[in-house]
Amino acid sequence: MLSLHDGSEDNSRVDRESGGQQTSTLATADHESVAMAPRNETMAKVLLIEDDKETADEIGAEFRDRGHDVDWAANGIEGLDKARSGGAEVIIVDRLLPGMDGLTIIEALRQDGLHTPVLVLSALGAVNDRVRGLRAGGDDYLTKPFATVELVARIEALLRRPADSRDTVLRVGPLELDLIERTIKRGDRTIDLLPREFRLLEYMMRRKDQMLTRAMLLEEVWNYKFIPHTNLVDVHMGRLRRKVDAPNEPPMIHNVRGAGFILRAPT
Amino acid sequence: MRLPDFVRTTTFRWTLAVAGAFVLCTLVLFGFVYWETAAYMTSSFDDLITGELHIIAADTPERRLAQINERLNNDPRRVRIAALFGADGHRIAGNMESLPGGLTPDVPADAVVVRVDNRGRETETVRLVTERLPDGEVLAIGRNIEEIGEIAEIVRRALMLGLLPAFGLAVVIGLVLSSRAQNRLSEVNRRIQRIVAGDLRERLSARGGNDPFDQFAVSVNRMLDEIETLIQEISGIGDNIAHDLRTPLTRVRVRLERGREHAATPAEFRAVADQAIAGLDQTLTIITALLRIGEIEHSGRLAGFSEVRLAPLLREVGDFYEPIAEDKGVTISVEVADEATVHGDRDLLFEAVANLVDNAVKFTPEGGRVELASLRRGGESVIRVSDTGPGIPENEREAVTKRFYRSDKSRRTDGVGLGLSQVTAVVKLHGFRFTIAGCPGCTVEIVCPQAH
Repeated sequence: MLSLHDGSEDNSRVDRESGGQQTSTLATADHESVAMAPRNETMAKVLLIEDDKETADEIGAEFRDRGHDVDWAANGIEGLDKARSGGAEVIIVDRLLPGMDGLTIIEALRQDGLHTPVLVLSALGAVNDRVRGLRAGGDDYLTKPFATVELVARIEALLRRPADSRDTVLRVGPLELDLIERTIKRGDRTIDLLPREFRLLEYMMRRKDQMLTRAMLLEEVWNYKFIPHTNLVDVHMGRLRRKVDAPNEPPMIHNVRGAGFILRAPT
Repeated sequence: MRLPDFVRTTTFRWTLAVAGAFVLCTLVLFGFVYWETAAYMTSSFDDLITGELHIIAADTPERRLAQINERLNNDPRRVRIAALFGADGHRIAGNMESLPGGLTPDVPADAVVVRVDNRGRETETVRLVTERLPDGEVLAIGRNIEEIGEIAEIVRRALMLGLLPAFGLAVVIGLVLSSRAQNRLSEVNRRIQRIVAGDLRERLSARGGNDPFDQFAVSVNRMLDEIETLIQEISGIGDNIAHDLRTPLTRVRVRLERGREHAATPAEFRAVADQAIAGLDQTLTIITALLRIGEIEHSGRLAGFSEVRLAPLLREVGDFYEPIAEDKGVTISVEVADEATVHGDRDLLFEAVANLVDNAVKFTPEGGRVELASLRRGGESVIRVSDTGPGIPENEREAVTKRFYRSDKSRRTDGVGLGLSQVTAVVKLHGFRFTIAGCPGCTVEIVCPQAH
């Protein structure tokens, strides 16, 4: 999806061109690449409202491969009917549809009191459209063309909304983050983090075992409305990882090549 | 019969309307003149005859007859009427055959009488006033008023002489003007049709005069100049876009072709696919950046403007870029002089500053410095990003803010050359100024007037 990929791909290019100044960061990033994001343990019902059959087939195949049940509606009216009849745990809706606009569908659903998470797909990439999509009641917004991993990661994030946020101590394996004391420990080892690193780790711990793409991190952790040209997320993640995963410890932060990052308890 | 085109024009209709109004006004005016004149003459006749009546009535009966005869003898135009009737109504003297009925004594009124004199009998319309004398006789003095009718005739002739030619002239002028307007309009129309058909070099003809038509032609021509320039610019941008998109797309194509020929193992195929996806992503990045610039330029999101505090904004950008700078061996420092605020869109300003810092970090060699600062200068807030990189030569400064421009020196460095265009778009939207200085070393400033 657009420049989101720049991260991993650009790394190698920048390395070559800038005399390998970033090699240290990136070496850690690449050698641990996990084959692919974990499969979803639980099967979910996904409703896909998309008028382009080819796109729908591709998306449908991807989600079926990952063990989900996909229901496809080719136009807005059919889509709204299927969404209303219930059963779907997450809805993917195209912004521009024959019969009924994607945003109208979301508004209709929300008026009916249905709060099924909705991801809006759109060929309109403008920031303002994104804002409009979210304001209409969408939970996430993705611009076409997108990387499949990006869509999958976002849908799975919507399916697994973060657990109760009233906890003041977050735990993932040996990692313990105290939100009140602002302290982090891995086992007995205390980890010192800068505020920005703390924020990043907190976000990842709330979404453990989930694929987090660079775009998601930029939007959620840094509240960015645009995609920077450089591989900033990788650099920040590299810093955090060096502090969280000491050389002698099994790694917890995993870089999934071409996709994003996952925080997992060591096995 | 088919009327010529110009008859249907608005100009011609207006001419007719104005000519009609003119005719109506003239008629009313002439009518007023006639009516006033007639009234004046009637009133002077009345004074005259009433005066004479009183003089004669005041005389002795013998002198009365003499007076009447004298009056009638001294009347070469034969306009006077004077007569004395007996109490029984028979004529004693004078030139009026009989006394008409319905007259109030001493009040002048119109009357039709029969004049009798040496030329015979003659019916005529007169102003007549009567008085009954103490001895029962009735004295009547009158004056012919056919002159008043003659005035009506004069007025009518004056109307014919003045009004008809004037009306005719107005219609002719209207016809000429509207046919001229019609001709110019159809010429404009013909030329516009040619422009619509795609000939953008066509212009309206201006005759160098100062009439509204010329002024209109001049401003339309100016608009056409502007449109032509814009279209040339767009096609220029189009060429640039095509070039910048073709380059990565060609690479993708070559990779895929070579991959199909040479890749043997799944791992090799995957590597080819990865490279191809990276190439496609690069083209998509360019498209996104271009759309983003267009979006900023046309967003007009002034409604969403608010007071933005510069200090936290700069600190946040600095914080965000610090690790990548550190990896490059570049120090970033943030120096915020005061609590300056600017009126603007925080997200867009953040994006602009981030773009500047991104560039600064990218172009500053190892061991260099990037400084972010906000300061006040002469009532203006200034956001300054300076670095110790190579800087931008003076002759390239304007060009770098244009879409797709990248200095030759920067060709080796990653990026699509749209960063500064985005900054320019944001700065323009806010009504701020953007300056580039220093070489070597680069100092860029966003100058924000009307700071609080």
